[in-house]
Amino acid sequence: MPPSVTTSDDLSPTSPVVEARHLVKRYGDTSVLRDVSLSVAEGTVTTIIGASGSGKSTLLRCMNLLERPQQGSLSIADERIRFTEQGPRSSHTDMPLSRHQLQRLRGKVSMVFQQFNLWPHLTVLGNVSEAPVRVKGISRRKANALAAHYLERVGMAERADAYPAFLSGGQQQRVAIARALAMEPEILLFDEPTSALDPERVNEVLGVIRGLADEGRTMLMVTHEMAFAREVSDQIVFLDRGVVGEAGPPERIFEHSDNERCRRFIAPAA
Amino acid sequence: MDFGWLSDPFYQEYLIEGLINTLWLLLVSAIAGLTLAIGMAMARIRGPRPLAWTATAVTSVIRGTPLLVQLFFFYYGVGRLLEGIPGIQDSIFWGLLRDPFFYATLTFTLSVGAYSGEILRGALLSVPPGEREAGRAFGLNPFQVFWRLWLPRAVQLCLPTLTGEMILLLKSIPLVSTIAMMDLLQAANIIRDETFLTYEPLLLIAAVYLLLTIVLTLCLRQVEHHFPGVQPVRRAWRPFGQPRRV
Repeated sequence: MPPSVTTSDDLSPTSPVVEARHLVKRYGDTSVLRDVSLSVAEGTVTTIIGASGSGKSTLLRCMNLLERPQQGSLSIADERIRFTEQGPRSSHTDMPLSRHQLQRLRGKVSMVFQQFNLWPHLTVLGNVSEAPVRVKGISRRKANALAAHYLERVGMAERADAYPAFLSGGQQQRVAIARALAMEPEILLFDEPTSALDPERVNEVLGVIRGLADEGRTMLMVTHEMAFAREVSDQIVFLDRGVVGEAGPPERIFEHSDNERCRRFIAPAA
Repeated sequence: MDFGWLSDPFYQEYLIEGLINTLWLLLVSAIAGLTLAIGMAMARIRGPRPLAWTATAVTSVIRGTPLLVQLFFFYYGVGRLLEGIPGIQDSIFWGLLRDPFFYATLTFTLSVGAYSGEILRGALLSVPPGEREAGRAFGLNPFQVFWRLWLPRAVQLCLPTLTGEMILLLKSIPLVSTIAMMDLLQAANIIRDETFLTYEPLLLIAAVYLLLTIVLTLCLRQVEHHFPGVQPVRRAWRPFGQPRRV
């Protein structure tokens, strides 16, 4: 890593692994994110909540650059990026973000999608081992062992040879979580991981995510499962019409938020 | 019915040469054509505008004109034009350029490229974009996303249609008998001329084509059944439909 200015923050035990500052994301004339800042400490769980259209998913997708903001900066897993109207630039080199740096970042930040997005023409094992083989360049044999390990972790080891179409939604999402874990990422992103599931399948997926939170993994999550968010999160970020309405520990957000709209958003769930 | 000519070694040789040429033409045109189809489809989906426009134009012309006319155009038109280029007859390419096989392959390759390219384009567009996005999100480069995730899925979706295209290609091949190429039909025509038998040689090659189609279908069905992620839908053997409940 090139030398950078070290502030006292960097030395504290909970130095943020994700630090987003003043993110602005527009589609045409519509501003989805208007000056969003967010900080996630290592080993903590942050949940982004908010009404539909508040920009939750967009914010999450900015974290691995599936969405590219037009302004602001992002520091994630030791990658520092500055966003401009012309595209993201590396803060290290002040050059446009290279494909290499983008892929390196994505190798350290894994995502679990609402619609699972498994690859239907690959077996469960193939789905989980694909990225380690192609992106990290590890051998097929090692990747299969790695995949088997993480499939075991999510309770899907016995379905390793099945194709995704033959699994239930909950099983598919657990495979998708194993796929994310197999990259051994520094940060896990969950984009509404239970929203596409039947109610009776939600708990099996939440159980896996709860286990990961207990392991002390750094996670950033968007969810509508309010009770779950309150239970596992160290920090809740309430996003409101593209700005952070309020951020803080779950007790405060859920019980005595200072933000009127946040209280109203929470009320039906509480 | 007189099939006595079948024992004539000269006629046997014609028929075998015709069969080999037919199969060879099928194989080369299928491989080159499907490769071109991938290029045509991607040019139209992702290519820079001039390339996309060219692919669209080629597709429209090839699909909008009869195959026989295209074959004549390349063999009699382009072939004769090339003949006139000074020095070309001494070049190393001349062997290729005066061979009707070259023009037949060219025509069929373009035809498969145009028709299958459109089929593939539709299939590529119907693969849910989330699957590609997942590939990108895990750091796969665009090349890996295309060859490992996008294209295999598209082929999976359009495989039965592509099988049909290959059968149509096989049965377009007799057209080459019109440009003096020894295929099965040409062999049959020679035998018809020399023995004054109208039907028997035609019946023979019809039977051979039927057999080839069946074999090709069975082979491609194996490909379909063994394509990753596709569970073959096997029908139970019920020749008279669903059993009726009494």
